[in-house]
Amino acid sequence: MNRKIALTLLLTASATAAIAGPIEEQIRFRQSAYSFAAWNVGKIKSQVVDHPETFNKDAVAAAANAIAAVANSGLGALYGEGTDQGVGWKQTRLKPEFFQKKAEVTVAANTFNEAANELAKVAATGDINAIKAQFGKVGESCKGCHDLTRIKE
Amino acid sequence: MKVTIHIWDLPLRLFHWLLAVAVAAAYITAKIGGSLIDWHGRIGIFILGLLVFRVLWGFVGSTHARFLTFFPTPSKLLAYFKGRWHGIGHNPLGALSVFALLAVVAAQVGTGLFANDDIAFVGPLFNFVDKSLSDRLTGLHNTIFDLLVGFIVLHVVAIIFYRWVKKTNLVVPMLTGKKQVPKTVAASLTGRPVRGVGAVGLILSLIISCTVVWGVTGGIAYLHPAESYEQTAQATQADPGF
Repeated sequence: MNRKIALTLLLTASATAAIAGPIEEQIRFRQSAYSFAAWNVGKIKSQVVDHPETFNKDAVAAAANAIAAVANSGLGALYGEGTDQGVGWKQTRLKPEFFQKKAEVTVAANTFNEAANELAKVAATGDINAIKAQFGKVGESCKGCHDLTRIKE
Repeated sequence: MKVTIHIWDLPLRLFHWLLAVAVAAAYITAKIGGSLIDWHGRIGIFILGLLVFRVLWGFVGSTHARFLTFFPTPSKLLAYFKGRWHGIGHNPLGALSVFALLAVVAAQVGTGLFANDDIAFVGPLFNFVDKSLSDRLTGLHNTIFDLLVGFIVLHVVAIIFYRWVKKTNLVVPMLTGKKQVPKTVAASLTGRPVRGVGAVGLILSLIISCTVVWGVTGGIAYLHPAESYEQTAQATQADPGF
């Protein structure tokens, strides 16, 4: 039993310490993840907010699932030490303070995860007004993280 | 002996207070974000309309609204600093502040038209530039905002200074349009023609302002369709399997 716990601890420790890969690769993958999310955010914005007459329940539900999938994919793994400097598809805009604000970042990231998962749930119902309201909350959670971690252009 | 004169016409006062409220609302909606970012965009377009109106009103409005009446030439500024300027309406330093505020708000609106928030909002002219240029203009939009705050603070501090140090209330005339001036000053102005609000100028200014707003929000895209981010967002699978 004790050996099992020790082994688990060891594995956890080594997993945490594992190098997430070359800095450029981490930056490139996270930029890709957010770009993919942005495409799906754009679909919901267009079909739910700007042009509700084009609302396609299945397309919006698929988009919400895609955003939730990005949120649940463990993006934190792509924010290794030193990734505030470097070029992925383009220069990263991660603030150096990111690494000193881990607690706040965790809160902001969880807010996004919860908002995105809730959006996927609401989107499945096809209730356009509820989707619109929850979509606004997702937008706020995006902004929360951007304000905290991203250098302004 | 003081006499009351009409100084700020109603369209000018409406412009002033609507601009103040709209800038505050634009700030709040941008700060909160989420669904309110769309309102930030709408307010920005409203401010564009206000600005176009003010520029036109600077040519066809009543006397003290006209740019030529209060344009701060170096000689006027010099006279003001030496205490030799005795006019009514915007004094030369105040006139500089007017032009600076108008220019900064115009730059803020201009960059906002092309901006994006990297979440779910793009300005109405976003499709006419590429994303990297839009990002740069968004950055300028952030920077210019700080400049705008600086000018607004200066504007308010100047009003407080005039109120407490120079014993001149600038707020009441901007609300009522009326100002009390010494009879000697009023008398010295009687030789100059004072223009009131002309109906034709007012209507034309309003029509042109609305046309510019329509052009930015739909007209340009209608006359000159650009490939849009909407198309990507609306595109559906041609083949359900892929």
